[in-house]
Amino acid sequence: MQTCAFVNDKSDDAHCPLMNETLTVTQLNTRARSLLVSSPGLNDVWVLGEISNFKRYGSGHSYFTLKDSGSEIRCAMFRQALSRIDFEPADSMKVTAFGHIDIYVERGSYQFVVETMKRSGVGELYAAYEDLKRRLEAEGLFDPARKRRLPVYPRVIGVVTSETGAVIHDIITTTGRRFPADILLCPAQVQGEGAAESVAAGIAVLNRAGVDVIIVGRGGGSIEDLWAFNEEKVARAIAASAAPVISAVGHETDFTIADLVADFRAPTPTGAAEIALRDRKEVAKQIDSLSLMLDRALMSAVGTMRSRFGMLDSKLSPRRAGDLVRTLSQELGALRGRADAALMRKTDRMGRGFYVLDAKLVPRRARDAVMQHQMKVADLSDSMAQAVSRMSEGRRRDLGFLSERLEALDHRRVLGRGYSYVRDPGGRVLSSVSQLAPGSGVEIVMRDGTARAAVESARRYSDG
Amino acid sequence: MDEEVDKMTFEESLKGLEEMVRKLESGELDLDSSLQVYERAIALRDHCRRILDESERRVQKIMETSEGTERKDLPVSK
Repeated sequence: MQTCAFVNDKSDDAHCPLMNETLTVTQLNTRARSLLVSSPGLNDVWVLGEISNFKRYGSGHSYFTLKDSGSEIRCAMFRQALSRIDFEPADSMKVTAFGHIDIYVERGSYQFVVETMKRSGVGELYAAYEDLKRRLEAEGLFDPARKRRLPVYPRVIGVVTSETGAVIHDIITTTGRRFPADILLCPAQVQGEGAAESVAAGIAVLNRAGVDVIIVGRGGGSIEDLWAFNEEKVARAIAASAAPVISAVGHETDFTIADLVADFRAPTPTGAAEIALRDRKEVAKQIDSLSLMLDRALMSAVGTMRSRFGMLDSKLSPRRAGDLVRTLSQELGALRGRADAALMRKTDRMGRGFYVLDAKLVPRRARDAVMQHQMKVADLSDSMAQAVSRMSEGRRRDLGFLSERLEALDHRRVLGRGYSYVRDPGGRVLSSVSQLAPGSGVEIVMRDGTARAAVESARRYSDG
Repeated sequence: MDEEVDKMTFEESLKGLEEMVRKLESGELDLDSSLQVYERAIALRDHCRRILDESERRVQKIMETSEGTERKDLPVSK
């Protein structure tokens, strides 16, 4: 094969008949290849760039692009070379790759064959991270005493994240099952140039919108991807936020600066949503239990009230009332027994009298006399029954009165019975005339409403 | 009173409810106050339940524009 030294200054020197030679494509690519691979400046060089379009194939080889702001080059890194590096290359990583330029003759593709590579700038990133961490720590920004408590029942939750990522989707889904709160998303750029500014601005916008708590987050990625959350601008925005901040930066190992400044750190967006809002069922249970305590407290308050009724106490307690009913009905029974016995004695005596008369009187008159007595007995019996029933009615009234008083203590009937109470305009219940200044306004509360009234005068009982 | 309760946040209302329960449990109120406290507690409890069960949440995004901020509803799959 002829060699053509057209890059050589001495290309005009004789044996390179440029104008006449015809090459096959293969010859061309082969010639170009041998020129490149033998060029010392393109062999065994270190190249600095950012990885993109990283793909690894079943063969174990990987292909990607290295780029900087001005240019890019396709790269190939074969399985063996890949197995010798201590990290998994990924898009947006900054690396320095060692290798040589080559041409893949079959395709005429120009590429850089990477023999090994190192992460680049990571040292600088870590140094910047450590430096910022040290400064903010000295300022007390990570101080646990600085951490604000989260509102238990926020009305609006602000979210700063990408509008298209899984983060906002997960937060919307999870919060739907929890205590009801509005969600306000402030879309932000979460990686790349300007991300820190975008996240910081989002936190400020949501604070101006008056949200109760803010979730700041993004999905996982390389240290470069997450870098915005290690920048001072974001840290300052979180520290300055009036609303408490929950960080949800998807990664498991290191904490970002944002995590350290935030009031709470959640491992995932779903976790952040769960920290921000209570479980709906738990809240419902709490209300139910308060409601139960309320009913018990009222019953016990009414019970206490009964025992405080002083004079009425002995008659009003349910057990005493029961005793009273038993005593009264025993009395009633005895009364009825005595009445029956009296009637029996009377008729008995009359009957005996009749036999005596019987001997002396003619049958018709005797019969009249008996009828007279029978009527008298019936009459007596009636009036006796009336007396008894009058008596028992009186007892019943007493009992009715007692049971009404018992019912009066049931709160729902108090006002229904014409009972009303007086309170001052502030809603305080008044229980003494000393609280009533003439001319002052009061409110009378009755079963079905309230009335405003003015005090004309107040007089205290001399024994009050 | 009901109107005032209606304007309360969930948190205020729940706090009020807890306070009423505590008052009633103290046993230091006379009958009238007990009843008043009870009625208010019931109003607060019902308000809490209404918020929990009937609130319709809004899901929106907020953007800064030259004239301030603008809000737009976000789609929510149920």
